[in-house]
Amino acid sequence: MAPVKPPLAIAFLRLFTVQGSWNYERMLGLGVGVAEEPLLRGLRQGANGDAYHGAVARGARFFNAHPYLCGMVVGAAAKCEYEGVPPEQVARLRTALCGPLGSLGDRLVWGGWLPLTSAAALIAVALGVGWWAIAGFLLLYNVGHVALRWWALRAGWTHGAGVVTALRHPALQRALALVVPAMALVSGFAIPLVLRALVAGWSGRDVGVLGGVALLGFLSPRWWPGAVSGLRLGLIAVAAALAAGAIWP
Amino acid sequence: MIFALLGWGMLVGLDLVSVPQMMIARPLVAGPIAGAMLGDVATGLQLGVLFELFQYDVLPVGAVRYPEYGPATVAAVAAAHLTGGLIGIGVGAGVGLVVGMLGGISLHLLRILNARAVARAADQLEAGAVDALVRVHAASIARDAVRAALVTGVGLGFAWLVGPVLSITLLARELRPETIRLPGAAVAGAALATGSAGVLRLVGKGPLVRWLATGVAAGAIVAWLR
Repeated sequence: MAPVKPPLAIAFLRLFTVQGSWNYERMLGLGVGVAEEPLLRGLRQGANGDAYHGAVARGARFFNAHPYLCGMVVGAAAKCEYEGVPPEQVARLRTALCGPLGSLGDRLVWGGWLPLTSAAALIAVALGVGWWAIAGFLLLYNVGHVALRWWALRAGWTHGAGVVTALRHPALQRALALVVPAMALVSGFAIPLVLRALVAGWSGRDVGVLGGVALLGFLSPRWWPGAVSGLRLGLIAVAAALAAGAIWP
Repeated sequence: MIFALLGWGMLVGLDLVSVPQMMIARPLVAGPIAGAMLGDVATGLQLGVLFELFQYDVLPVGAVRYPEYGPATVAAVAAAHLTGGLIGIGVGAGVGLVVGMLGGISLHLLRILNARAVARAADQLEAGAVDALVRVHAASIARDAVRAALVTGVGLGFAWLVGPVLSITLLARELRPETIRLPGAAVAGAALATGSAGVLRLVGKGPLVRWLATGVAAGAIVAWLR
């Protein structure tokens, strides 16, 4: 059966809700199924729509990867359904894509693009840019975010069962090679500037308290590995400061 | 005002996981906008920066459980604004951290509820019933919206309760200014430690350390010159 012109735009919009039904059973599976369904509508002409319903059911089974790259499995699995690839092979493709898409997205987005743009926004706020820093962060981050989602969906639909070749695209490797070191550089640049902005106008005693807590907090994971999260550290710091204030007013 | 904050907290909570993940859930965005709603952008920015540093502790990989700092920042800004004065930031951060913990727990419960809904519709889903698929998915998003609104509502209630009570207590005790500033300084130290540790975890022990060190040196020079 020849692929019909796919309603890629609808699938793309639905991809923004891909984590909407995240759960411990199928993880992103349902969201992937919902996004894939518009691409499968060309299969409805068959006897009783068996091919369509079978493909929809397969699309909603377990899947887990980085949410921005799920479009790749959505496009690739839908293309496979049109090309008559056996269901077992489609299932194997989905399973095979979980690890690489998760790893790539985690390194590129959670470990690169997001901390890079967030640190840039922190620098801008520390330098007194104000609202423009927030607007710039949202704009810059989402240019990368939306482009990545669209690229993943197009690549999946274009390559079908051979979608793994898209993961070796030089642009992706270049993006990783640029974004990750830039994240380290910009994050490092942000730390002293944010510190300076935080302590502006403070007394020596306040700066000493900040420094002491920061040092203790920084070293505590080495003394009690896994026991002291940022949340716990923050709560302990506030509680201790309030208690100290109550004892020595 | 409270409905605007509640609505903003709900949108921020939805953005974190469900839809559309455009990062309005980041404290650096959630805080100033909550501050603008209260007519106190400066407090919103200050707490936004603090919670953004705490956010560096979170790496949302796989099924990992983590605090939710978006609605927490909205509640923190409200608490700081209501408390006012020098202690506002410390009290706001304390409220926000508690709400962040509640938000994390609520996300875990939501995922369990979603799994139950999927299990109930398993036969229809395996039959490829599109209406069942869309219904379960949409209901999960609606459930997350209710969850986010509830977390924000509890946070705002906490802020309205804690802020005025602390203000009255502290005024009655006539604390010294340096004592009043103590919680703010302590939580800023905790946020800085968390942010720095988070960056170091992302950078690792490989060649990226040189980039980080270059950045720190350049940032220190610029901070010193300003």
